[in-house]
Amino acid sequence: MTGPHGVGIGWRPEIAGFVAELPGLRFVEVIAETVPTGGPPPEALVELRQRGVTVVPHGVRLSLGGAEPVESDRVAHLAAVAELLAAPLVSEHIAFVRAGGMEAGHLLPLPRSRAAVDAVCANVARAQAELPVPIALEPIAALFDWPDDELDEAAFLSEILARTDALLLLDIANVHANARNRGTDPLALLDRLPLDRVAYLHVAGGAEHGGFYHDTHTDPVPAPVLELLTELCARHRPPAVLLERDGHYPPAADLRIELDAVATAAGFPPVT
Amino acid sequence: MNTADVPHRSSADSLAARQAELVAALVAGGPPPPGFAPAPLAAARAALLRKRAGEVARYWPLLAAGLGPNWPATFLDWATDRPTLGGLRDGWELARVLRARHALPALGADELAVREAAFRYDGHQPPRRRRLPAVGRAGTAVALQLAGRVRLLRPAR
Repeated sequence: MTGPHGVGIGWRPEIAGFVAELPGLRFVEVIAETVPTGGPPPEALVELRQRGVTVVPHGVRLSLGGAEPVESDRVAHLAAVAELLAAPLVSEHIAFVRAGGMEAGHLLPLPRSRAAVDAVCANVARAQAELPVPIALEPIAALFDWPDDELDEAAFLSEILARTDALLLLDIANVHANARNRGTDPLALLDRLPLDRVAYLHVAGGAEHGGFYHDTHTDPVPAPVLELLTELCARHRPPAVLLERDGHYPPAADLRIELDAVATAAGFPPVT
Repeated sequence: MNTADVPHRSSADSLAARQAELVAALVAGGPPPPGFAPAPLAAARAALLRKRAGEVARYWPLLAAGLGPNWPATFLDWATDRPTLGGLRDGWELARVLRARHALPALGADELAVREAAFRYDGHQPPRRRRLPAVGRAGTAVALQLAGRVRLLRPAR
């Protein structure tokens, strides 16, 4: 089983037909929580696997950054999905999604504090103990920062990676979003991250709304995000980059153009 | 607020409490936790609601379509201070509230009648598929479920 390679796309049921017809595709992601583990995986994923396409389970509800221990049932499910799809790795977020018994319904940012680093590292260690494959951690896009911050983003992420031995899933659109919303330099962050630890990249679309850049995954990938992707790959090109689209799916021709633009920006062969 | 107010030594407990405060502020109408800049927090709150509206519309496409251009505002008005129970239950609760107010559009009534016939939902536990035949009603819409198959006998008008 090979790791992610080249240009991939987030597999979603709505675009399963489109994804199945991409001739050069060697890598997709599937939202881990949507894959049932009681029976066989969705037929479309089985067919991709039979073609030799790597399928990476991408978790969105582990809440690795929660102060409380990660729920073992959720880790067990992610592990089962990884086994089911013979995945070479899984990925999750540096974020929390619930607290005090309440679901936030989305990935929320952590305070960049030493206490939060401790919480993430403890939960990643708990998950790693049960997972059959390595885990890659994805820093999220945040619309707000905590007043509790003690570390800057590069120090926060580097500390977590150093202490967990996890891989990095770097979302270049999130880097853009955070820099835009905080008024910081995205290249300065890239220069301080351990790019040799990147298992693969994410890229996604977004839009300006109410004075903020929103990482919507329902809009086209804007030019600055593609430019940042090129900048990153000029520094150190990771083995793979994956386009995430989560709604308002464009016509197939437009999605192909977007995949080609990602390939060009990253210096990978087209998969369309 | 600065880091001196949130001492590192109380780490895990303090982090848990701070995270709970923040989630309550974002999804349950709780007060903004001290020290957060209000505008970005408000933007995050609005973004969460928009995302949630999209998820509910996926579970309740006819309800959303029936409300048309009023869907986002109707959903946001209802959801602002209510933490999510998931897209299926959120839409169910909203449809029932609208029915009680005689504000449920016909398409939404059809959808609710079909769901009520197929599932037992008490508002507390997750909906469970009915094993016995059942009739679901919403406004003038009537749906019948027999052996797991649901038919809309009479659509709402």
